Amino acid sequence: MQNPFMSAAFKPDLAFTGAAERFFELLKSFSLPGAGAAGAAPDWSTLAGSLAGQFEQWLKSSQSAGPWFTAASAPGSGAGFGAAASSFGPLPLGAGAAPQQDAQRSWDLVARLAQLQAQLASYWSEIAHDAAQRFVTRMGAAAGGAPTLDGALKLYELWVNCAEESYAATVRKEEFCRLQAQLANASAALLVEQRRHAETLVRAFGLPSRNEVDALYAQLKELRTQLAELTEARRAKPRPATAPARDRRSRRARKPRA
Amino acid sequence: MRPFSADASFLAGAAGAFVPELTLRVADTLARLRQARDVTVGCSAKRAVWSFGKTTLFEYLPLREAARDAPQRSAARPLLICFALVNRPYVLDLQPDRSLVRRLLDAGLSVYLIDWGDPDDADRCLDLEDYVERHLGGCVRHILVSRGTSSLDLLGVCQGGVLSLCYTALHRREVANLVTLTTPVDFHTPDNLLSKWVRELDTELLRQSGNVPGEALNGLFLALMPFRLTQQKYVRLLAGNSDQRALEDFVRMERWIFDSPPQAAVALAEFIRWFYQENRLIRGTLRIGGKRVDLAAIVQPVLNLYALGDHIVPPAASAAMERCLGSRDYTGCGIDTGHIGMYASRKGADEIPSRIISWLRKRP
Repeated sequence: MQNPFMSAAFKPDLAFTGAAERFFELLKSFSLPGAGAAGAAPDWSTLAGSLAGQFEQWLKSSQSAGPWFTAASAPGSGAGFGAAASSFGPLPLGAGAAPQQDAQRSWDLVARLAQLQAQLASYWSEIAHDAAQRFVTRMGAAAGGAPTLDGALKLYELWVNCAEESYAATVRKEEFCRLQAQLANASAALLVEQRRHAETLVRAFGLPSRNEVDALYAQLKELRTQLAELTEARRAKPRPATAPARDRRSRRARKPRA
Repeated sequence: MRPFSADASFLAGAAGAFVPELTLRVADTLARLRQARDVTVGCSAKRAVWSFGKTTLFEYLPLREAARDAPQRSAARPLLICFALVNRPYVLDLQPDRSLVRRLLDAGLSVYLIDWGDPDDADRCLDLEDYVERHLGGCVRHILVSRGTSSLDLLGVCQGGVLSLCYTALHRREVANLVTLTTPVDFHTPDNLLSKWVRELDTELLRQSGNVPGEALNGLFLALMPFRLTQQKYVRLLAGNSDQRALEDFVRMERWIFDSPPQAAVALAEFIRWFYQENRLIRGTLRIGGKRVDLAAIVQPVLNLYALGDHIVPPAASAAMERCLGSRDYTGCGIDTGHIGMYASRKGADEIPSRIISWLRKRP
């Protein structure tokens, strides 16, 4: 299933298809035996379990906190620190190519990322189960009557409201915010570490390093700024009063001919 | 592109009665979305008049009717729009019936707009001082010199509003009137989720990591309300009341939402640290280019418009501006819409330009 987190580019048709598929999946849950769709007495726990399972899966696959924070563990997710980090790919530029101590630092960071990801997954589970519970509680009043498309869309709205409420309640918690920051920091640290390895290799080939290029850019920026200031000063400076036309003509007339 | 296929077998009996209708709607909406994919964005004629680095200053050409009705336009004070670094400014001129720029031109105003462009690796060391003093400042100075005037009106949008506040505080004489749209001032209000998430980011690592891709920031914004912003809005297209024009409007917004420029590493790291983490603007501890940014130094008239349903800049974060400014002519107004609705919704398209135009007219 596609979603905009995975394809951060402009693909409205693809995003729509993904959302429609999810909608169908949700309808499938609504019509599970025991969910009341066939007129039987509703078994809310079955429905809640199914919804929570689906939802948790989606949260995990879509990396709902976005590539900014979590892409490091999702190779090929397409953006963010993680994308850049994973773009170094396998050896020889990865941790294995570095001196043993440096390599250890990289592996430690990878392990740290995996650990943080596991912690994050527990939050997705919490959100999914809470959302399903909210939905089932509120659905009681909405259930019943002949199933129609409008009715299904209303149920969907209710489901989204529950999902957003559960999500908001969890992602505002201090410990969740700290975890997100730790993930982003570990991801950025890994990227910086891998760049450091790459720089070592680049220097070995006598190529300019990132820092050296940055220093050149800084000089260029300084020069450009000075030039802009001089140009502006020249533009802003009032021009001396223009000499009368007759004077200009007479000066030209006096100019010796070649 | 893989085809859409609805597995309807699970919806047996009465529960599945609407599935054929739903499947038809999905197929129809998908076909129309594909048709609308190539919609154009941006509608008003403009010309580039100045550039510095990746930044370009555009001057909008007057509308023919407005030029006829307001021949004194060239003598009017110019209005410079400073948009956020994190999004493209064309959302302010998306389409003829939803264009803040067009409405301003229609009122006879002389409108300029800053496009920050796409920073690349050569720009990773650009900092906020560069953006405020040299890029925004360069635009201001160019307009003042070319128009032979001593001051202009400044309209800052979102993060661009923050830059505009900084510039106005540092260069009081050059700004006659300041208008801010969805502009945060207090970054630590309890409802600011974005602020909570970035509070413990290591900005030094961020700086070293290089420019941040636009997609990454976009992912962050979508993650604030992932179900509404990545699922619900698409499913709502199935409700059956969207004509092709409405669908094209939707696709234009999609194009804008997913068209985010990369962010220069140093400027972004500074913005996160100084504003989101340390809340320096409202605390009066912000310094740009060695000069203190004192909001109390802003004594010119200020119109501050913010969205009451804003999930990116909570209303309280923006309304706090009133307490900090030195201006005695402050007008704050909450509009009943969301962050993006301020620029692109029908309500925003009607209400925001009217308020700005009438406010500016009272302050010649």
